[in-house]
Amino acid sequence: MDVLTVKNLSVSFYRPTGEIEAVKNVSFSLRPGEILVIMGDTGCGKSVLCKSIVKLLPDIARIKTGQIFFQGKEITDYTEKGMQELRGTSFSMVFQNPMTALNPCMSVGAQIAEAVRLRCPEISRRELRNRVIELLELVELDCPKERAGQYPFQLSGGMAQRCVIATALAANPAVLFADEPTTSLDTEVQAQILDLFLELREKMGMAVIFITHNPKVAARVADRVALMRAGELYRIGDAEEIFEETIHNHH
Amino acid sequence: MKKRFPRLSLIILAAIAAGCLACGCFATKDPAYMDLANSNVAPCRTFLFGTDAMGRDIFAMIWYGGRISLLIGFLATLISTAIAVLVGSISGYAPPWADGAVMRITDLVLSVPGLLLTVFLQAVLGGESCYRLAVVIGLTSWMSMAKVVRTEVLQLKNTDYVLAARCLGGGFFHILCRHLAPNFVASLLFMAVMNVRNAIVAESTLSFMGIGLPVEVVSWGSMLSLSENALLSRSWWMILIPGAFLVTTLFCLTNLGNYMRKSVNKRHSNL
Amino acid sequence: MRRRSLRKPYITIIEELIKFALSVFLLSVLVFTLARLAPGDPLYAYYGERVEKMSGQEQEAARERLGLDKPIPVQYMRWAKGAAHGDFGISYQYKRDVKEVIAGRIGNTLLLGGLGFVMIFILALFLGLFCAWREDKRADRVVCRIGTLTSCIPDFWLSLLLILVFSVWLGWLPSSGAYSVGAEKGFADRVRHLILPLAVVVLGHLWYYAYLVRNRLLEETRADYVLLARMKGLSGKQVLYRHCLRNVMPSYLSMMAIAFPHILGGTYVAETVFSYPGIGTLAYESARYQDYNLLMVVSLMTGILVILGNMFAKILNERIDPRMRLKREAQKEEVRGF
Repeated sequence: MDVLTVKNLSVSFYRPTGEIEAVKNVSFSLRPGEILVIMGDTGCGKSVLCKSIVKLLPDIARIKTGQIFFQGKEITDYTEKGMQELRGTSFSMVFQNPMTALNPCMSVGAQIAEAVRLRCPEISRRELRNRVIELLELVELDCPKERAGQYPFQLSGGMAQRCVIATALAANPAVLFADEPTTSLDTEVQAQILDLFLELREKMGMAVIFITHNPKVAARVADRVALMRAGELYRIGDAEEIFEETIHNHH
Repeated sequence: MKKRFPRLSLIILAAIAAGCLACGCFATKDPAYMDLANSNVAPCRTFLFGTDAMGRDIFAMIWYGGRISLLIGFLATLISTAIAVLVGSISGYAPPWADGAVMRITDLVLSVPGLLLTVFLQAVLGGESCYRLAVVIGLTSWMSMAKVVRTEVLQLKNTDYVLAARCLGGGFFHILCRHLAPNFVASLLFMAVMNVRNAIVAESTLSFMGIGLPVEVVSWGSMLSLSENALLSRSWWMILIPGAFLVTTLFCLTNLGNYMRKSVNKRHSNL
Repeated sequence: MRRRSLRKPYITIIEELIKFALSVFLLSVLVFTLARLAPGDPLYAYYGERVEKMSGQEQEAARERLGLDKPIPVQYMRWAKGAAHGDFGISYQYKRDVKEVIAGRIGNTLLLGGLGFVMIFILALFLGLFCAWREDKRADRVVCRIGTLTSCIPDFWLSLLLILVFSVWLGWLPSSGAYSVGAEKGFADRVRHLILPLAVVVLGHLWYYAYLVRNRLLEETRADYVLLARMKGLSGKQVLYRHCLRNVMPSYLSMMAIAFPHILGGTYVAETVFSYPGIGTLAYESARYQDYNLLMVVSLMTGILVILGNMFAKILNERIDPRMRLKREAQKEEVRGF
């Protein structure tokens, strides 16, 4: 069974000046354990699509039509309360800029610990600390014990992104959304983070929706690829198939 | 968050200003004439807003006094804004040591009790007229504004577009007019409007305390300096009416100032 | 990665102390000179109307006795010498030791200003949170409107209004003093006298700080980390309290450190209107009637409080906010001196 199914989803922004449809009639499904790359130019609605699934859009944006199913259950009409239960455990997200995605005034350890404790409030201090370090080891951060006490601005972009990933994985999510997670990083670090995603998928078995505008990045991680343009998802298929097609089209 | 233009505030403000300017046409009584036979009269047909303890007509005083209050507000703002922009931009543009020195001096002036400074300047200038009082208020209220100007200049100085303009060979004045000023104007206007407000508050407070304008020079503040008696004789109109005009003016000014302020929250809340 | 300041902490402390001493010294010189340069005769403070009946010789003698005949630098030296031994001279107006005059009143001002400060501190946070959580909803707009209005009411007129309503019309609360004359000086009496001046002090400042808190919080809610925090499964309110508020706190605390002398010094209007016997009225009288010695001490007290407030704010800002800590360390290596 698919982990996540989206049927005919349309999302609109209602501004004083009028309605803007950012996502138009999008349908796709996500299989367990796969990495689905959603590719498209900046502003084509990839990010809005993901945020609408986890309902993190600002008030002026609304799901106009369509349905979202998580593990066979419809969650389209879930209220904020219901979504809170799902976030962290079922869905999780990694953001584009790790430097702004981490709270600048909290040590990274504390931010990861917060995510852990939210799901098991009874955890003892010692266990919590061990779990945080375990997570940091999982994302292959060097010297996790020291790093846990540091603040985001003391880390490099790549290290900070690893911490964001650790936060996202704290509650073993079934689906991980990665919203351009490597765009703000150096090429070298980019490759490392991409490998980390592949590895983590092997270890934890979660499904990943990976957003990018960069075909090279997409080719490195994708099992399947969905192409978006101007709010519409016009093509979805296996990675090899799609990349072959694009190469053909180019020649 | 979309800002709505404060139309009502502007209309009220314009009405009050127009009333003060054209008061000769409809406020026929002499605001300075002391009709001792009719002192402490509650609002009635002949005295629309009543009379004060010295028998002066409050309706006439409101409009003539408003002239003085608004005049002081604007004059004092001109003075303080000029000083603030000068000190602030020099400090922001100067090398760090000079900047530090200027800011230290500003801090020092700020730590002298404002009351002492005011009383001193009043005594030196002899604050019997409204122009002198405007100078006193202007000279005592530039400090915090100068600090704001300085931070603004410092921030702008280091932006990439100013650097780019410099690389393209733009001179100081070109950069100032083309690049700095447009970024500056919103916050400067906001501060200027707020300074008008603060100057009017200062005028009324000082006159009320007896260190501003004397009772004979009618302003909204000096009208209220007789309120001690008014409390005893329960003449509410002597307190409420000038105060209502004062507060309304200040409120409208604030709304206007807030509208001019650079809108900070352009993006949507993530909460 | 982690950079440590090259200088040892005690050097910073000594540096701050020197700066503090220098500021206080300059302030005292400034106030001393300003007070004496201002036209007006301190003899009036001492003798009142009698000065006019005194002959020129008598006046000279009086001046000499009070040490007012010497040039200003000499007067300052004499004052400073006395001040170093804890002798600040006598108040011309009260004809008592300045310390005594102040000691009799400072408690009242501290009570009024201190209580006002605490209330402003708590209420501003509460109101700021209230409005930020309901951003642009009706409740927020109404509170903002009312808040702006209260910030537009001059302190003295608010005092008059409150007296008119609660003392003259309703007769519920006393309009002046800190105690009832002749009555038993009970706690309830004290509280009854405190309510109106306290309301003026609090309402006069409250919205300025509450609005600042609101806007800072709103800036924070725009940050990306809010999304990550919500993605962990925190509710909007939890994010607001645990993350946004936490990030606003350092700047709020340092702001309030600067606010403290402001609020304490701003009580003088309320004190005057309510005839509340405090330092504020003393400052006002001494500045107006050339009561030099009293003026010096009162000015220095408020000045020192301002300087301390600023220093405290700076320290708080640097110590609490981890971002500032790094910035400071980086700056120290770049710019030295001032």
